[in-house]
This record gives sequence, structure tokens and C-alpha cells, in this order.
Amino acid sequence: MDRRKFLQLMGLVSGTTLLSSCGSERNQKELISYLVPPEDGVRPGTAAWRVSTCSECPAHCGITVRLREGRAVKLEGNPDHPVSQGALCMRGQAALWRLYHPQRLRTPLLRTGNGYRPIGWDEAMKRIAEAMTASAEKSRTNMLLTGSTSGSLATLQERFADTCRVNRLPEFELFNHAALRQAYQLLYGRPRLPRFGIEDADLLVTVGADLLETFISPVGYAHQLSVARREKGLQWSHIEPHLSLTGANADRRLTIRPGSEATLLLWLLQTLAKRRRYARRLPQQILDALPKISLARAMDNSGLPGSSLTELARSLEKARHPLLITGGVATAQLAGGQVALLGCLLQWVLTVPWQGLDFDRAENFGRAGDLRDLQQLNLSLQNDEVGVLIISRTDPVRHSPQKWRLDENLRRARLSIAMTDLHTATSRTTDLILPLTQNFERWDDVEPRIGIHSLIQPAMAPLHNTRSEGDILLELQQRLTGRSEAASYEKYLQQRWKKLFSASQLRAFINKGFVTKGSPRTTISLRTKPTVAALRRIAPSEPLPAPATVITGSIRSFDGRSAVLPLLGEIPDPLTTVTHGNWVTLSPRLASQYGVKDGEELRLTKTDFAVAQPARLQPGLPDGIFGLPIDSLTSGPPGIDPATGEALRVIGAIKAHPTGKHLALPILSGSPSQKGRGIIPKPIHRKGKHHAEHRSLYPEPAYRQYRWAMAIDLKRCIGCAACVASCYVENSVPVVGREEHLKGREMSWLRIEPFYDDQGRASFIPMLCQHCDYAPCEPVCPVYAAYHNPEGLNVQVYNRCVGTRYCSNNCPYKVRRFNWWQHKWAPPLEKMHNPDLAPRSKGMMEKCTFCIQRIRTAHETAGKEDRLIRDGEVIPACAQSCPTDAITFGNLLDPQSAVARLIKTPRTYRVFEGLGTEPAVYYLRPD
Amino acid sequence: MSDKAPKRPGTRLRKLFCLAVFSYFALLVLATLSAGLVRGFFAPPTTQPIAFPHTTHADKLNLACDFCHSGVKQEASAGVPALSVCLSCHRAIATDRPEIEKLLGYERRGEPVRWQRLHNLPDFIHFTHQRHIQAEQPCAACHGAVERMLEVQRVRSLKMGWCVSCHRSRGAPRDCATCHK
Repeated sequence: MDRRKFLQLMGLVSGTTLLSSCGSERNQKELISYLVPPEDGVRPGTAAWRVSTCSECPAHCGITVRLREGRAVKLEGNPDHPVSQGALCMRGQAALWRLYHPQRLRTPLLRTGNGYRPIGWDEAMKRIAEAMTASAEKSRTNMLLTGSTSGSLATLQERFADTCRVNRLPEFELFNHAALRQAYQLLYGRPRLPRFGIEDADLLVTVGADLLETFISPVGYAHQLSVARREKGLQWSHIEPHLSLTGANADRRLTIRPGSEATLLLWLLQTLAKRRRYARRLPQQILDALPKISLARAMDNSGLPGSSLTELARSLEKARHPLLITGGVATAQLAGGQVALLGCLLQWVLTVPWQGLDFDRAENFGRAGDLRDLQQLNLSLQNDEVGVLIISRTDPVRHSPQKWRLDENLRRARLSIAMTDLHTATSRTTDLILPLTQNFERWDDVEPRIGIHSLIQPAMAPLHNTRSEGDILLELQQRLTGRSEAASYEKYLQQRWKKLFSASQLRAFINKGFVTKGSPRTTISLRTKPTVAALRRIAPSEPLPAPATVITGSIRSFDGRSAVLPLLGEIPDPLTTVTHGNWVTLSPRLASQYGVKDGEELRLTKTDFAVAQPARLQPGLPDGIFGLPIDSLTSGPPGIDPATGEALRVIGAIKAHPTGKHLALPILSGSPSQKGRGIIPKPIHRKGKHHAEHRSLYPEPAYRQYRWAMAIDLKRCIGCAACVASCYVENSVPVVGREEHLKGREMSWLRIEPFYDDQGRASFIPMLCQHCDYAPCEPVCPVYAAYHNPEGLNVQVYNRCVGTRYCSNNCPYKVRRFNWWQHKWAPPLEKMHNPDLAPRSKGMMEKCTFCIQRIRTAHETAGKEDRLIRDGEVIPACAQSCPTDAITFGNLLDPQSAVARLIKTPRTYRVFEGLGTEPAVYYLRPD
Repeated sequence: MSDKAPKRPGTRLRKLFCLAVFSYFALLVLATLSAGLVRGFFAPPTTQPIAFPHTTHADKLNLACDFCHSGVKQEASAGVPALSVCLSCHRAIATDRPEIEKLLGYERRGEPVRWQRLHNLPDFIHFTHQRHIQAEQPCAACHGAVERMLEVQRVRSLKMGWCVSCHRSRGAPRDCATCHK
């Protein structure tokens, strides 16, 4: 073909593109009037906010729900709420994905063979009522098993159980902290988890307790830690056998041999009890009952050098307000009960004197049982004692050891019912499934801590044919006994609230979303006799033989329950940066021993425990440990500790061998090492003129009223990725899935980059569009879609973008994202779209906009009042959700703004400053 | 000169080919122009479910625009009045007229009126009436003399260039991000 022919052909082809561009306008063609004007505050085009409470995990953080056109589009923390203080973790942010999940159960389902058929509510209720009456005749017991429940639903369940003769089983949660609760019961007669006064402590030692991930109330702890570090100069040491996000963020991380926590705590108790400060804390009987541990034995057992142990003891002695918290994997092993007891006894010595434990505002795990109760249920099922078994909001089939065969035994119940919003392992084995209304579709209340009542308020009408658990129980009660507590759950709530709250309290409850009822402060006293008896039974054990595996709770899925939300699979795990998929972590040295690299499958086995997952090399993980996130378990935990009923999560003497299979792991980080790039500066980068000074040939930018900038304090950032989830939801960023991630086509506008130094210490840096003054992406756009606006933002005009991708090519921070496909949102997910943002289609570049839609709204509000935007009026989604307040946003030209002050600290720097891009995002070094 | 340049073989075919290409493009141009004409000038007139005359209400009765389109001062969209606003008068006034009977029928059935939109902007444009009212833009500047329209027509193109020209002449922000979401 010659050139002329080529050009002619091009001309021909290009003609056809004209026709294809004649698309229809997908706009609203109609203006539909209201029948009556909307009530105040509900206007089309304007957002309304409702207070509510999140239920993704039992912590129950207070939230506010943003409503647009009657749909919930964003969740934010409730600023005054005592549990969360205005923050919301990534699971909480993703809760909207649960509401609009395409696979949400929409009608009651009846099992037929291997499948299900939809039935009506009436028929379902009839079946249940009949089965319940029939069980009584056949001398079988009807039982109710729920997940963590509090507030009015708990009282209703109690009434239901009493009036309908149903056995209300202890609540089932995998992370039930049973060992701790049993220890507190033994020591003080209070089977509760206290509120830890972290914000008043100056020394925190955590043994195993993953405060930032799944331990009781992670958002609250992260916030408290941040406050204590800033204001009280808190020093924090974390002691664990593996590497967790919590350990990565502590000031000091001590690696001990798995199973040696009890010996370590015993040694600490002994040593501290002898010191003058704590001499009279423990009665002599207890001191005598303590088994004796020498320093040498403690060193040998834990693997710590003597200096670390003595330093630890010394710091605990010197601190004014020391706080020691055990939990997590430390108590989830054989003899975990000992660890809990010793840890709580240490708390008596160290923390109770300065009132760092508050049992009056205890965490509400009142009715939670442990896996021994589940074992008992399993036995009852085997013995055909169970009539109707109602399982609500919990997944015992998934979380019970496989050898129990709970799924098979469930079939022996007369009728098993699962009440849930999405399919779980349990619901796939029950006879009947009742779909529950979600948090955002019903009225309810919860009591996350004793005395703190939190409101759950509907944001919208139920999307599907679902009912709330309260309504189901009331109807069953009506059918069985002929009368019910109230005509509907809403009425029941109203009745109860009238009794519980005064008129002003009720108003505050509805408006603010929570009420804190005062409770008198009681003192706790040590029960010497039972403590002595328990201590006498302690036999210091040997550490678990290597290699051991530690099964960790996940910040992305808690105990696995949130793994069903696609958004959480899309956000990388903070330490490994793996997205969709499961893995097992091991240190680089251990990996070379087994001859595996990233993605090569390893099979871990021990007696009745077998797991095969692709390997992921983890710097900083001790050699001799396999880290297994809870989602990587294909069935339940390998066993339980018969003494406490906790699920075993630390197992020794694991046999591992590579299977030879290679699975593609979507790993998003390019490298765990900074490779000398100075992204988080090391001392050499701080030595003045490390890079040559840059002069720019471009004119100096001149901003008149606003120059938006952001300051991110890396000392506060814990890498929890709450900001990432918040950004995803606020900006309707598409979730692209595993295949695209394997090609490197991630869509996150904001990402958390973990970097490890050669000692395995991790630092996290949130990386987003830097909105550079001399942005490399702006001059290269052939259609002027990327430009610099007069307020300092680097704006992407989606309409102009033709998809050359030169801007992404030129960006040194690699924060620009391209829409390779027209991303489809399976209905009803499209209801989650933020109407303040343009929908991006295939072929457009997108990136962080500093939440320009929020800036625009602030301009309009300020413009209405004829003033400038004040500091703190614009809070981007990422900054809003951060539990530690690491991100600050504001106007640099306002000398009073927080940002303007933060950029002048000695720790301030900018990434790749030597390139001369003049970014608007300033980072504060972690040290 | 009797020498003519010898004709190359296949000249007729080449000429035909060029003609084909030219006519293809010509057809394309014609198709585009006519499509534009059809959708522009010869677009079918919009028929509203109720033949509401602005002449009676805005001109004769001198009702202010925001008496019905009340959203204009507070929020982004002006909105159409809720049925109850119309009924505040028309429950009693002129109830024998056929159009008012249609209105009362809507109320009886509890059905909202589905007005046909005339002024429409794409999804990716952010437009607030409130800012424009605050800048003391008269409604007629963009919507024309509505009070003289028996049936409302769109009299401005509402295209970007038209918006920008007014912004430029009045010193309003011309930043892309002002309107493009």
C-alpha cells in the first residue's frame, strides 16, 4: 500500500466516526412535581444528613448518613460520638456497599434440594410457627443463636425467649475475647471488657492485642492513641510473635516466640511486684502463688534479650500512667487463659491505681459466649435435641472447626433458619432464609458500651422485601402466644425509649444520635482466693515449636464477615498490598528456605488443619512464622482452647511444603523498599542540599484568594486505609476487580504505600494527586483537559479528555487513573453514585480532585453569605474519615489556617521536591 | 501538439473510486446536517400534560417567578411547584375549565404531574440558580419573556459558549471546574 492509498483509507474510516458520535442525551426528560412541598431540609439537589450507627462490627461507631434525593450516598463519622469521635474505618465506609449489594437477599427463601425457592413472608412465618409448636410436642427445644446484640433488640429477644419458651443461646462472635472476660470475672467478679483509658496513659504495652485492626473498638483506640501520643507523649510497645498493622505502628515492637506470652507476663509480674512502687499492690498470698521465673528462663522462653526485658520492666515501673493490654492472638491459643489472667493481674498492679480501667463504661459483650457454647449446640444437634434453630446475624458454620461438622448437624434440627442480609456459609446450609433489613433501612438502637445508647435511623425505605429482626420476632410471638410486646418493632422501640429516656434525652437521642447515661463510678476489688487458686494451676509452658502459624483478624474483613463487600477486596491490605485473593505471609528468609516466591502456593498442614494459599513475602515478619489472614482459611479455625472457648489462632509445628502451583497475586506495591528515593526521607535526605536547586522557566503561579493545600502527618498515619475507602465512596470510583489489578490497572485515587527499611520497620505514606504548581501532567495534554485552576488545584475536565494517557505517563507520583473500560455498576449499586460528581466513562482520565465538589459547595455557601471560605469548612472525604486526624486540608493563603501552620514545622517536606513540581501536598516526617 | 500523454491503465477505475469516496463523504456531510436540522429546528414541539399558560399567571396575575419556582433562591434547581401550590388557588378557582379538571384529577389519583423538560443540562454540568439570582440575573435573561409565552419555549441554546460569554462579560468565574463536575 502506498501513502496515498493509506491516507484515502484513513479518510474513509474517519468519516464513520462522525455518525457514531451522535449519541442520545442520557438526561432527565421530565420534571416531576411533588404532591406536597418536601419537608424542611429535604430538597432535590441538596443533601440531608441523618445520624445513625454502623454495624459492620460490634464496635458500633456513630455515623452520619448523607442523603441525596432520598438515597444514602456517603457515610461519615458522627463527630461527637463517644465511640468513634467522628472517624470511620474502611469497613464502615464500605457499609454502603452492603446496603446496595447486588446479591442481597430479597425475599424469604425455602430450601428445595440443592437450591432455593422464594416464598412469601406469610408462608415463612407460618412454617416457623408450626415447627416451633411441633417441637414442643416432640420434646425438642427451640433455640435462638444471634451475633452480638444490645439495646432494645436484646431486651426483645429476652422477652421472646421467655414467652415463647425458646432457649436463648449465648451470642456467637468469633472474636469474643472470652479469655479476657473470664479473667476479669475471676479477678474482679466483672465478666466485662473495660474501657481502657488510653488517652490518659503515658506508657502503653500491648501483648498481642491488635488495637488498630479488630480488637474490640479499633477506630476508638486509633483516635485515643493519636491523642495520647500528641498530648501525653505516649510511648507504645507492642509484643507479638508475628507482624501486624498494630505492631508496625507501635513505637517499639518486640518479637517473641509464639506461646511465650504467659512466661513473659509472669516474669514481669514477679519483677514489678518486687519493686518499691508496686510493693503492696498484690497480697502476699498471690505473690506466693506465682510460679517463679528467672530472667534467664524468660529470655530463653521468649527469645528476647535480657536487656529488652529489663528495659520493659524499668519503663513500666517509671511510667506515671502505665497501661498493659493483652488480647488478640496472645489469648487465642492453648493456655491463652493464663495469658489473659496474668495480663489482667498486671493491669491491677499497673493501671487500676490511676483508674485506667473503666468497668462502668464497659464494652458491651455481656451476652457473648465462646466456642464451647457452640460446641454444646453442636452436641445438641447431634443428639436430635434441637427443634427450631434461628441463627441471626452470625455465621457459626464458617467459624466453627471443620471437624465438628456443624453444617451436617444443622440439618438434624427440625427447622433451621438463617436471618441475614447476604448469603453466608450458614445460610447455605439452613432450611429457611429470612432476609433482614439493613441498618440504613430501619429504626433500632444499640448499646456499644454500658450507658451509651446509640441510635440507628433509617436513611431510606427498605430496598427489597425484607423485614427487621425485631418485627420477625414480634410476629412469631404473636403467632405462638396470641399476643406480642408491641404491634411492630417501631412501636416497641417507642415504648422502650419513653421508659428509658427523659423527654430531653429522647430529643438529644434523635438529633445527636446517642445518649450517654451517667452511671455511678464503682471501685473494683481483687478477689484473692479465686486468683490464688487459678495461679496455682498455672504451669509455665514452653513456646510453640517453630514454624508456627498465626491466624490474624483482618482490618479489611474483620473476622471475614466484610469480605463479601467488593470495595474491601479492592483496597489493598496495608502490609502486603495484596488486593483480591488470599495469601500466606512468610519472611524472605523462610521463603528462600522453602524455595518459594510471591504467588507460589504453599500448603500448610497439621493433624486436622490444612490450608493451601499463595505465598507473599513479608519483610519484618519473624522467621519461623507463617501469617495467615482469617479469610485465607477455607473452613473454620483449627480448633478451640477447651479452657476458655477461644478459637485457636496460633498453632505450632506446622508442616509446610510448596505445591508447585503458581497463582497470580494482585500485588499493588511496586516494591517494599524505597530504593533510596527519599519518599519518606532518611537522614541523608535531610542534609540540606541533597538535590540541586531547581529553577523553573514557567511563570510563578499567582493565587489571589485561595491556594488549596494538604498536610499529611506521617507520624499519625497508621496505614488503616479508612481514607482510601472514604475516597472511593465519595467519588464513586469504580471497583475494577482482580483481572485489572493483575494488569496494574488499579483505580484508587488515593493509595497507602507501605515502605520497609532493612530492619523490617514499616512506614506508611498516603499518596494522592499532589496538585503541583508546575504539574508535569498539564503541559502534555493535547486537548487541555488537565489544567491548573486559579485556586491551585490540578483539575481534570472529563469531557475534554480523549484518552492519550500522556498525563499519566508524565506524572512522577503515578496518581492518575485511566478508565480502560466503561465500568458497569450492577444494580442497585448505581444508587450509591454521588450526584455531585460527573460520571466518568470509558477513555477518561481521573484522579484525586481534593474533593472539588466539596470546595464548590463551600464556595456557594460562602458566596451566599458574601464571605471567604473559613478554615475547616472544606474537609475532603479522606481527611474526614481518618481516625488519627493525619490529614489536614485548607487554604495556604490564609495565615491562620491549620495547613499554613503545619507546613512550617521542621518535619515538613514534599515528595520528590527535587523534581521542581512544587506539590501542594506537604508531608510531615514520622521522626 | 498532437502528442497526448498516454492514458495509464485502470484510469477509469481510479476515477470511479475517487467519485465513490467523494460521494461517501458528501453523503456523510448531508446526513449530519440533516440530523442537526431535524433535532434542532424541526424538533417536535413538546406537549405538556397540562396546558399551563404563563401569560395568565405571570403576566395578568403578575405572580413573581419564585412564587411557584421557589427553589431558585436557595438551591441548585428551581423546580416545578408541588401540586399543593397549584391547588392552593385552583381548588376553588376556575374548577370548571378542562385543564383545571385535569389538575384536580391528578390530585384525586395522588399522581404527580410529569412536566416535559425544556431547559436541560447534561449530567456533568453543575448549575445553581441560587448563585445567578444572587448576582441579580433576571429570569428573562436565560429563559426569555416567559410571561408572554402561552406555551413555554426554550429561547436560548444553553450551550457552553453562550454561558461563558455572559460569564466573561460580567466577570463571573470562568474556571472550568466552576461548572464541570
